[in-house]
Amino acid sequence: MLRSAIGATVVGVAAFFLNRATLELPVFVPVGLFVVLLVVGVGFAVLRYRLWGYEVRGDSLYLERGVLTRVRTVVPFVRIQHVDSARGPVERVLGLASTVVYTAGSRGADVRVPGLTAEGSDELQDRLKGLAIRAEGDDAV
Amino acid sequence: MKLSPLSVPYKAAQKGASIVFTLAFVLFSGASAFLGSIGGPLVAVGLLGLVVVVLVGYEVLYYQRYDYDLTPDTFDIRSGVVSRRNREIPLRRIQNVDISRNIVQRVLGIAALDFETAGGSDTEAAIRYVTFEEAKRLQSEIARLKRGDAKDAPDIESDELFALSDRELAIVGALSFDLRGPGILFFLLSGSIPFVSSFFEFGVEATLLALGGVLVLTGIVLVSWLAGFALAVVNYYGFRLSRTADELLYERGLLQRYDGSIPFDKIQTLTIEDNPLKRRFGYATLAIETAGYAPGQGNQRGSEAAVPLAERDRVLSLANDIEAFGTPDFTRPPKRIRRRYAARYLIVLGVVTGIFFGINAALGASLPWYGALVVLPLVPIAAHYKWKHRGYWLGENHVVTRNGFWKRQTKVVPYYRIQTVIDSRTIFQRRWRVATVTVDTAGSLSLSNQDAAAVDVEATDAEGLRAELEGRLVTAVAERRSRRRRVIGPVEAEAVADEKSEGDEQTDVADDASSSGV
Repeated sequence: MLRSAIGATVVGVAAFFLNRATLELPVFVPVGLFVVLLVVGVGFAVLRYRLWGYEVRGDSLYLERGVLTRVRTVVPFVRIQHVDSARGPVERVLGLASTVVYTAGSRGADVRVPGLTAEGSDELQDRLKGLAIRAEGDDAV
Repeated sequence: MKLSPLSVPYKAAQKGASIVFTLAFVLFSGASAFLGSIGGPLVAVGLLGLVVVVLVGYEVLYYQRYDYDLTPDTFDIRSGVVSRRNREIPLRRIQNVDISRNIVQRVLGIAALDFETAGGSDTEAAIRYVTFEEAKRLQSEIARLKRGDAKDAPDIESDELFALSDRELAIVGALSFDLRGPGILFFLLSGSIPFVSSFFEFGVEATLLALGGVLVLTGIVLVSWLAGFALAVVNYYGFRLSRTADELLYERGLLQRYDGSIPFDKIQTLTIEDNPLKRRFGYATLAIETAGYAPGQGNQRGSEAAVPLAERDRVLSLANDIEAFGTPDFTRPPKRIRRRYAARYLIVLGVVTGIFFGINAALGASLPWYGALVVLPLVPIAAHYKWKHRGYWLGENHVVTRNGFWKRQTKVVPYYRIQTVIDSRTIFQRRWRVATVTVDTAGSLSLSNQDAAAVDVEATDAEGLRAELEGRLVTAVAERRSRRRRVIGPVEAEAVADEKSEGDEQTDVADDASSSGV
């Protein structure tokens, strides 16, 4: 969510300067634009956060996300190839992490659960790994 | 084993041709004056001679230092002139073995060999060049070793499934359109219409514009048809499809000849494709996707068809031969969706008319900007047809989806090939209370083309459909696993290895996919 807010701020600031530089409009126009963009960006981020959800079910990982397009993805454990715990620079600053689940599919090749705490992400990773191995069958001979 | 000795002169000539060309160009343009003062034409000849010697020498060295070996488990290649490279490719990883020959290579009797593995569009190994017989031998040997037969087991018979007759080839050509070149042409030409029309007097403009438009359109259709025809003939001349116990073998091509293999094991999705023309005459096309590779890819974009054209019934029975899915009974989207499509087309029409109006206003002319509205009565018809050709069906072992009017695709996906199931609803879909359920597989066509998807399904059904697909996937995978274990029997270690190999090939897919940033 913070990522989106930061993104919105950046865009807003950029737009602000762009407006000032290119157009000879009165000051409040670019400022207004900036405010509008910020509000929209933050609003978006809040919505995205609210609508984001994941659930570890009996046979699969279930994810819900998306504001404009609501997407629900089901990743069966038998299809999980490997699970990563990833932290981008912004996430590291904020103490967050994501868990990325890889399958062999071409569209849903990596399914990302963002915005987890660092321990939460590792926990989820271990949990999914265990479930994936178990789903693989009792032939771990 | 060594490459074919003919590869030396061939490769030297291949590389030499481009170098000599550039050299000649350089020499005869500017530098000749400079060189003339030194030694004249002798220098040019000397330089050329040097290039030839270096090239041939390099190729000879490459040939001498290239060695390959087919062992029961791996294919080993030792190569490299300056920096040596030792590769061992597990046979398990090799999905397709493809042979290609262009005209010159066919005359010389040599061929290029490519090994494809799951998950990449790059070949795992490209061997240049062996004799054609050797290439065929390697192709069948690798298939035999992967099957696990003993070295002296008799050759597996291959039955021919399908051969494209000349008549069918002509029909393939006649029914193919290649819109790429003409599309660009159209884009460029359409910009000139306002300029051209400004040269003529008032009043004449409207008719001239209409005339011009019709001419351009006919021109485009003609050019794209001819291009499609030529491309189809070049690609599918002499097409033959045959099968062995565990793979499909195909041959095709006029200028460049391909001999490829598609193991049954790796088939992800079958696509039966047609267009209105083909439907009218009762024909269809069959395409097969394997993980990470589509037949006919390689170094040319080309088409991905396994059966370029045959009568529809024939195509259906061939498809059923490969994956026995039965006869689908499609469930269509709810009827109200036709209104949604109609609305969509109306919006597009509105936008186009708006653009015309804008152009008209900008030029200050009196062009018939409302001309686009002519197609208005066609909108409900188009919406109906789009709805009509949409649908999905859950078979016993496969899910079948069908979409499209101009390019209609019926996709057959076995349950055990499903990777993830995605239910998505755009804002508009939410308003119409429908959803799209997409079935993701490991096939590479899914990247450029679409995945099998049940589009615009009733929202209340979507959840159930998704759960159903997931359930069947899990059962199908478990079933396959237990079936394999039973077949292999007490040799547990091998069983695990084989299970792992099914997972492994997908790991390879995932590895390659993730490393290539998919």
